[in-house]
Amino acid sequence: MTNGNQANADLFENLRLELRRGCLIVAVLAQLRTEQYGYTLRKSLAEDGLAIDEGTLYPLLRRLESQGLLVSQWREEDKRNKRFYRLSPAGEPILKQLLDEWQSINASLERILQEA
Amino acid sequence: MSTPSNDLRSGKPQELLQRYLQAVRFWLPKSQQEDILAELSEDLRSQVEDKETELGRPLDETELGAILKKCGNPMRVASRYQPGQYLIGPTWFPVYRFVLKLVLLWVLIPVFVVIVGPAIVLSNPDRGAGLLQTFGNLWTAWIIAGGVITLVFAILERVQVKCDVADKWDPRSLPPLAKEQVQSGAKSICEIAFGVLALIWLLLAPQYPVLAFGPAAAFLKFGPLWHQFYIPMILLTLFGLAHQIIGLARPQWNWLPPLGRLLSIVLTLIVLNFVINAAGHTAHNEWHPFVTLVDRAQDSARYNQIAALVNVSVLLSIAGTWLGLSIAAVIETWKLLRLIRKRIPQGHNAAPFRAA
Repeated sequence: MTNGNQANADLFENLRLELRRGCLIVAVLAQLRTEQYGYTLRKSLAEDGLAIDEGTLYPLLRRLESQGLLVSQWREEDKRNKRFYRLSPAGEPILKQLLDEWQSINASLERILQEA
Repeated sequence: MSTPSNDLRSGKPQELLQRYLQAVRFWLPKSQQEDILAELSEDLRSQVEDKETELGRPLDETELGAILKKCGNPMRVASRYQPGQYLIGPTWFPVYRFVLKLVLLWVLIPVFVVIVGPAIVLSNPDRGAGLLQTFGNLWTAWIIAGGVITLVFAILERVQVKCDVADKWDPRSLPPLAKEQVQSGAKSICEIAFGVLALIWLLLAPQYPVLAFGPAAAFLKFGPLWHQFYIPMILLTLFGLAHQIIGLARPQWNWLPPLGRLLSIVLTLIVLNFVINAAGHTAHNEWHPFVTLVDRAQDSARYNQIAALVNVSVLLSIAGTWLGLSIAAVIETWKLLRLIRKRIPQGHNAAPFRAA
């Protein structure tokens, strides 16, 4: 019984992570319409209810930057070097497309849930 | 913003943070080490500062340890920065698994069972040692073949060769639907009828050699060799009949036909092995004849030639049957394993759904 509960919990966790994965990318791109460095980005996402750990965020930022959706710059702030990220010009239309897609999926889900 | 912490610049907490970053560094690609660590270190320091501001005092080692623990295992943290975490990716993996199974199970095992194994065992005076040597060689062949196949697919993955099969395909070229293998009643009845006929033939053949030899029964008879294997052969036929009759009566026991056939084949192989051994065990290094001449034909050179020819034919037939049954044993084992796998519920092992 306990094993069954654990298996269900693991299954839910896997599905939850899959569901969050795509949403996090959209959230990160949207937050970076305003320039931020990693830690403040994490904090602002957490304050908006989308907590993300550092081990996930920084590799994601690097990937998005290598895909040309973000640009970054090392700068000194409060006597410390910090890497600031912001949405690149190439990332802006992609973010718009992603937001349209997300709204379309959201609307579809709403309809499906209302039918059920 | 929070006040900068001085406590992390010296003492044990600072050392703990440095040790953590050093552990992460070890697993990072060299070209990105400094960049990644500078960013990660900045994040961790910011977390510490926020916590210290919240508590109004410097963090101790345990509290810093909790932050690092939450950040994750150094190897795991570093691994997230690495591209291509798999040796063989999802595009090639199904092909890799297919080739691996094909070579390890359907090429090497039959080759060792049918060719290499008999060659080693028969050439070795100690049969047990020969069998062990065969298993050892099979194990080595598995490791080498598995390694080479894995290496080839890992290279294919690295050089990013696109799998044409995955991109260029036509739905109309898909194979036709596989027919469900259901043992039909008519087929079972036919098998039982043939089993009964074989049993009757076996029971009558010693009394009526004409059933085995036809007109040649006038001068040929069974060799004494068969006496010791007569009862096992009848028992084997009865066993085959029994599992066919039970299969007809209980068609829902779909595990029975492959299991019965496999047992039947294995038992037949054992008996044939004894027959071959017994035929070869003579004092003068000659074969025990499978057939001999009746007394009144002993002096005929022509009949002796025919008897010798029949003996060679029987020996070749037995060897051929042994090879065929060995292959059949592998096929039946595969069928049985497939059936067992279908019967085992998959539960939560199913792969997670990947949305396009």
